Amino acid sequence: MHPFGDLSAYLDEALSPEARASVQAHLDTCALCRTRLAELRGTARLIAALPMPVPSRSLVPRVSIPIWVAPLRTFSTFASGAAILVFLASAALSSFPRMTSAGSAPAAAPAPNTLSAPQASSGAAAASSTLRPQDFNPAAPSPAPAPNTDQLRVPVTQPSGAKEVGRVDATASPSIAYDAATRTYQAEPAQPGFAVSPWLWLVLGIAFGALSVILGRRLRSA
Amino acid sequence: MRPDVGGAANALIDRARRGDARAFEQLAIEIERPLYRHAARMLGHDDAEDVVQDALLSAWKSLASFEGTSFRAWVFRIVTNRALDRLRSRRRHPELPLDPPTENDDSASWAEPAAPGPELADLAADREALRVVEDALATIPADQRAALLLRDVEGFAYEEIATITSTEIGTVKSRIHRGRLAVRNILISRGWRGSGG
Repeated sequence: MHPFGDLSAYLDEALSPEARASVQAHLDTCALCRTRLAELRGTARLIAALPMPVPSRSLVPRVSIPIWVAPLRTFSTFASGAAILVFLASAALSSFPRMTSAGSAPAAAPAPNTLSAPQASSGAAAASSTLRPQDFNPAAPSPAPAPNTDQLRVPVTQPSGAKEVGRVDATASPSIAYDAATRTYQAEPAQPGFAVSPWLWLVLGIAFGALSVILGRRLRSA
Repeated sequence: MRPDVGGAANALIDRARRGDARAFEQLAIEIERPLYRHAARMLGHDDAEDVVQDALLSAWKSLASFEGTSFRAWVFRIVTNRALDRLRSRRRHPELPLDPPTENDDSASWAEPAAPGPELADLAADREALRVVEDALATIPADQRAALLLRDVEGFAYEEIATITSTEIGTVKSRIHRGRLAVRNILISRGWRGSGG
């Protein structure tokens, strides 16, 4: 009887010494079993010669890196980008009124500086009684001398503070009312929440960017 | 390289068992490709990457329970079990059981060549022949395929395969023979004839 079922184990040298000797003795006398053994050997060689597939990415888990590193790097990257965007927006907004006033000053200021001293002082008093000019300029990093606010007008809706001032000025002369309205409009950007220097956003952006780079190197080195 | 061979590998395993994550990562890098090769031929490329990554992470988490002598066989066991579990859940070939009950290995059929063809032993470099072998492997039961790949590709001994697949050596012997014979029969049916040597 042919020992077909033992041929693969014989080929793999996985038979006991007695079984192996028995199969060997049969192979010496059986051409058919020698043929089958050669076929199995050829099949095993073909299977072993199959090309090695390669994964598309590393499959090794980064167990040496704390679990919070990757999320923190992602957060740092986005935070850096957001801070720089805010910096750019702040810089653009702070420079916009100056650009506008520079273009509209000749036409919009027929004679705002021709106010008499009492008029100017009363108008200034009306404005300064509610808001101070240096509080309304978010682009001013320091309490620099107040610019000529009569020439800086921002076309915005009148805030509630302006109405109050406007009521006071309604009883005054037109020139004073104009002056008060002008000052009130100029005071409109006074929002203490945005009174942060744009440079602070730039510093934050750089800091988060540096943190992102450091964490990225840490991830790559693992 | 077989990570469980040599003193350096044993030192890495000892360090990894003591919690050295970098030592484990080095071991995993050395065994990553063979694990993926095995999983890809068991499952296909799509699922193989996930299975290997999950298996390596599982190995790291349960490394303290590793008490055997072969880290490589231990990780292959995790990958093989996960691959077989995924195949069972996938049910892509419900008509093809993982290891169907069969008759005695001695009575397994041997197909005869339909027409003269090239020698099997000379086909290793033939791309077409290798493609036929790959297709043939995909058609045999998963348990037979696992045992055959562990033997012919990865070079594990029958005893190691029995440990990896949690079966008896007799079962391993039967699976390897039947799987190899099935691939041989498919090759023969495609016009090749076996070597007479």
